[in-house]
Amino acid sequence: MNTNRARVLALALTLYLSHMPVAIAADAVLSHDADYDYDPPVAGSYGLPVIKVAPDGAIIDSDAKSLSLRQLTHGRITVLSFIYTRCAAPKACPYAVSVLSQLHALSANDKELATNMRLVSLSFDPDYDTPQRLADYSEAMRDAKSGCEWRFATAKSRAELEPILNGYGQAVDKRSNPNDPQGPLYHILRMFLIDRDGHIRNIYSSATLDPRLVLADVKTLLLEEKRFSKQ
Amino acid sequence: MNMKVSPKPALFIAKISNAVFVCVLALTLAFSVSNAPADETCSSPYLARIDGQEEFVYVWTLGVEGLGDGSDKLVTVDVKPGSPNYGKVISATSIGGRNEAHHGGFTDDRRQLWLAGLENSRVFIFDVHTDPAKPQHAKTIDNFAEATGGAIGPHGAYALPGRVLIPCLSNAKDHGGRTALVEYSNDGNYITTNWLPTKDDARSATDAKFADGYGYDARVLPRKNALLTSSFTGWNNYTMDFGKLTADPEAMKHFGSTMIMWDFHARQPKKIFEVPGAPLEIRWAWGDKHNYAFTATALTSKLWLVYLDDRGEWQAKEVATIGDIKGGVLPVDISLSADDRTLFVDCFGDGKCRVFDVSDPHNPKQIYEKQIGRQVNMVSQSWDGKRLYFTSSLLEHWDKKGEDNEQFLRAYGWDGKELKPSFALDFTALKLGRPHHMLFGATKLGANRVVALVP
Repeated sequence: MNTNRARVLALALTLYLSHMPVAIAADAVLSHDADYDYDPPVAGSYGLPVIKVAPDGAIIDSDAKSLSLRQLTHGRITVLSFIYTRCAAPKACPYAVSVLSQLHALSANDKELATNMRLVSLSFDPDYDTPQRLADYSEAMRDAKSGCEWRFATAKSRAELEPILNGYGQAVDKRSNPNDPQGPLYHILRMFLIDRDGHIRNIYSSATLDPRLVLADVKTLLLEEKRFSKQ
Repeated sequence: MNMKVSPKPALFIAKISNAVFVCVLALTLAFSVSNAPADETCSSPYLARIDGQEEFVYVWTLGVEGLGDGSDKLVTVDVKPGSPNYGKVISATSIGGRNEAHHGGFTDDRRQLWLAGLENSRVFIFDVHTDPAKPQHAKTIDNFAEATGGAIGPHGAYALPGRVLIPCLSNAKDHGGRTALVEYSNDGNYITTNWLPTKDDARSATDAKFADGYGYDARVLPRKNALLTSSFTGWNNYTMDFGKLTADPEAMKHFGSTMIMWDFHARQPKKIFEVPGAPLEIRWAWGDKHNYAFTATALTSKLWLVYLDDRGEWQAKEVATIGDIKGGVLPVDISLSADDRTLFVDCFGDGKCRVFDVSDPHNPKQIYEKQIGRQVNMVSQSWDGKRLYFTSSLLEHWDKKGEDNEQFLRAYGWDGKELKPSFALDFTALKLGRPHHMLFGATKLGANRVVALVP
């Protein structure tokens, strides 16, 4: 087993440990769990005010193609997650990836989601998360044959990364111990819901990152679009 | 809501070897014992936690005319054990002018401290990340009423993911108690205003007959998607001289008597509780299965419990009297220990802290009381329950007069039985002002000292 493969598998196991119910009930349903013990509001029964315009920046995707982040925050309803693949904190990146994985799996059986939703995992660890590593990671995390668009990307350098992190308010620091078992970087979990016109409409952290709420928010934006299109 | 998911995660996980499983399990267990948060127990659950002991106490302090520079200021006190400056003021950043400095709160990343002024609705944003020992004033929001559509009296800031929730006390139209919950992004952009429900605008909340539109505190229990709010009084009353206010029967009618349970994600009021006598601070229990919160009513001196009953319905009930049954001790701030067993109740009227055993939340029992000063208002408690900090000021126009107008920060140790003094600072002698809200600062987050990613 090569080193990279072992790392990806170890991460997947962390997902398992932190979200065992999801793994066990893989072909069943998602419902209440101890962390999210409530009925989520019905999609479209509430509003999602604009927070601000989603910041732009220069990025590189897992195919080593240069592009602007704007290209991934317009044209579809986007769920953008900041991660780094070396993260081993159970309620941080492994959890964020697991939520996107669930949304991706759901979109495989939902044509509206498959064609209108986009998932973006943006690494803030460009030194380690090379395009090739992101490609391997992405292969391990998604079903490539179906589901909505799911892009993996990073910046070419920390200098190009910094304005993106500042724009989104994604705090990232280096731990003083680079061999910290939770990973070399300290950060808070941030995930963003961005509408088709590039406006941030919600921000999630681990305490609010209930996949049922994210899905309700995506569908709320889809319903909002339908209402506006009728006017 | 039920959602079908693909079987791929299970199949993928099935590929993991037993050796890797054991390795990661060991690491996960190691994480679970290495974290020892010592943060303030009253802080937002969305806030990045400091680890180890708090190193600084930030004190949002009202300026006093003729005392020092007379301005509101953020005072930083060194509380790091072993520090040569332990128990001393190490910085005081004046914001120039008086604004009825009151409450504040960190952004969820703990990089900023937002401090609110009740009188003119200005909000001061401090950088506490670059140098936690010396916060720097970075930005001021001075168009609050205009931006929010008429909400005034910002009462602190409560960390939410990427944004702050600012519960308000009043409105620009009549300066009464009708008010709103306001949200700003962490970078200072206004997002939205949600007005508290009234009888005429209850928005489908049950028990709308109680709705008064008043506000004070706002706190979330994330795993129940529950936002709970309380109610106080408007600008007309909190800027009035306290003696004059209590002698004015008409003014005394204008206090809140409600708490509201909201669907937090939807920001929709669901149920209105009648809680007479100005329910103030809200403290949700921290336990994984503890579905309840406490509040204290200032005017009626009662402890109230808001809890989920056996049928899954939120209820509110009075569970204890604070001090004399006739009232008048004026309970203000409360602090619940991280183990949900001990509740500290500050009483402005007689200057005492009363301690309740709340291990049975439906039957609190007072177990101790301590004279903190001639007046006492705020209390902040460390996560391990061993250190408590008290300040004296309530409001500029409500503080006591003459010799009773002590202004202090007093720190105590708590051993489970009694409060023992650690240090005290006389904010009048130090020419600082009237100390109010306290928040904990540190250089350590997430079990580790951190440094900038991009130098």
